[in-house]
Amino acid sequence: MSTTSDPRYADRTSRPKTVERTIAVCFVAALASVVGFAWTYWQSGPDILLGVFFSTIFLGLGVGVIAWGKYLMPQGPFVEDRHSLASTNQDRAALAEAFGRGADSVKRRKFLGKLFVGVNALFGIAFIIPLRSLLGAKTPGNEQYYTNFGKGTRLVTINGEPVSLAALDVGGAQTVFPEGYVGSATGQTILIRPQATPLVTKPGRENWSPSGYLAFSKVCTHAGCPVGLYLQEFKELLCPCHQSVFDVSTGATQIFGPAPRPLPQLPLAVDSQGYLVSQHDYDEPIGPGFWSRGALWNGHNS
Amino acid sequence: MKKAVIPILIVLGVVLFGGAGAFAYNVTQLPPSQAFTGDSFNYPALSLSSSSLTEGKQLFDENCASCHGVEANGATGLAPPLLGVGPATIDFWVSTGRMPLEQSAVQPNVHPDRFTNAQTLDIVKYVSSLSSGGPPIPLVDTKKGNLAQGANIFALNCAGCHVITGVGDALADSTFAPSLALANPTQLGDAVRSGPGNMPIFNPGQITPGQLNSLARYVTYLTKRPQDAGGAGLGHVGPVAEGFVALFFGIGILMLFAYWIGDRTPDPRTEAEHVDH
Repeated sequence: MSTTSDPRYADRTSRPKTVERTIAVCFVAALASVVGFAWTYWQSGPDILLGVFFSTIFLGLGVGVIAWGKYLMPQGPFVEDRHSLASTNQDRAALAEAFGRGADSVKRRKFLGKLFVGVNALFGIAFIIPLRSLLGAKTPGNEQYYTNFGKGTRLVTINGEPVSLAALDVGGAQTVFPEGYVGSATGQTILIRPQATPLVTKPGRENWSPSGYLAFSKVCTHAGCPVGLYLQEFKELLCPCHQSVFDVSTGATQIFGPAPRPLPQLPLAVDSQGYLVSQHDYDEPIGPGFWSRGALWNGHNS
Repeated sequence: MKKAVIPILIVLGVVLFGGAGAFAYNVTQLPPSQAFTGDSFNYPALSLSSSSLTEGKQLFDENCASCHGVEANGATGLAPPLLGVGPATIDFWVSTGRMPLEQSAVQPNVHPDRFTNAQTLDIVKYVSSLSSGGPPIPLVDTKKGNLAQGANIFALNCAGCHVITGVGDALADSTFAPSLALANPTQLGDAVRSGPGNMPIFNPGQITPGQLNSLARYVTYLTKRPQDAGGAGLGHVGPVAEGFVALFFGIGILMLFAYWIGDRTPDPRTEAEHVDH
């Protein structure tokens, strides 16, 4: 077969010389980069230069080889017939004979064979047993409805220190937790002090803010992000995830963004030693809504 | 012809996305021409004892009184009263160049200081003499700080708004947490203690003087010596920007290569006439 007359053997390109030169440039660049890499490494040169040389080596090689294959190789199409997949008759006969030797032996011991099959079948059925665990799994119960704040629970900082009335200046903010539950995801609370005198955010919350301290659940009612950004001049809390803004003065009502509800407010009081405590738990489930949020709720546990 | 369209679209996309990113970056960042020069790291705002009350009064009357009033008791709707705000407050606003205000703004931005350090302290001393109270200028010494402790405190108290790399971010109602890149340790301490603008106040009970040293050390480390191992910091705005660049440019380039390497299978019906181009 003449390769010159068969169009399948023709170069892809009509300008082989140009492509050849281009590929040569790629390879020379890779070659120069190998030298440059070695030299830079020898000189303890900058890492970034090592990286540039290293990538140029691979880039030059890669582009050159692909261009070679794409433009300067016969493009075909060429067809290669697949050989027969079946084994020869001789091989098949030999296998049948070898297998038959053992099979006869097994067939003679019917009882053992049935026992063997029985064990395997039973073992397969045994895999159904773990499904039972799914039926008796522990459910979350009412964990979603309550936090660890109760009657007289002290507010503590992340270091576990109780918070006195002098802890914050007016304009200050601090993340607090129920005592004994530092780091609690549901108990995390943002304590702020917008003013020095009690601040009634909503009717019914007249005695919730000793010396102007206000505490709101830090878990956003939208997607549960920590609402820790307090804009003290505007008296607003900002959620960093989706920019929900809560107006502190009116009980952290949502004034912008996707949050569907105000942040629950924690009723505060001062204990006999002068530390801030909660009067009782939040009077609604904290955080984002969930399927049965309204169903099991029957008031705060005191 | 059709083949040429895709690379052009990709390049166009890169330019558009890059432009949008650069614009967003510039909105919150200070142009380099306005950056501080000089002695911001040896700023010794430690003692007001050698400051001059008469110099301070003159500077105040010339630069501040037109809005804040000769008595520094403010003007409703124009400027807040400065009585009892404390030396740290005055030092922060004046030394960062936010005051005197050039034009009304929701949130004054940082500018080169109009005054020398001595003049700034004169103003601080004069305003503080009008009424007592407020936080004093804190003594901040980064050399006494502990870097790891500072990082911890920063993550807990500051990163929420200023983000973990300290470059700042937008907040609500046209306000923003500024970049900390230009703040010297004393200004940092001033801000922590006085809570300028919408920033909460952190008193010495919340962040002790020792912790403040650590905090200042960490912020200095963060903003003065950014370790951009990859070469480009991308404004230090964090993993989202880095991931975007890695995906967009990395995958984009790989896709262009894949497009070049790949070839359409010749249609068997037209194979006979198939001519390469």
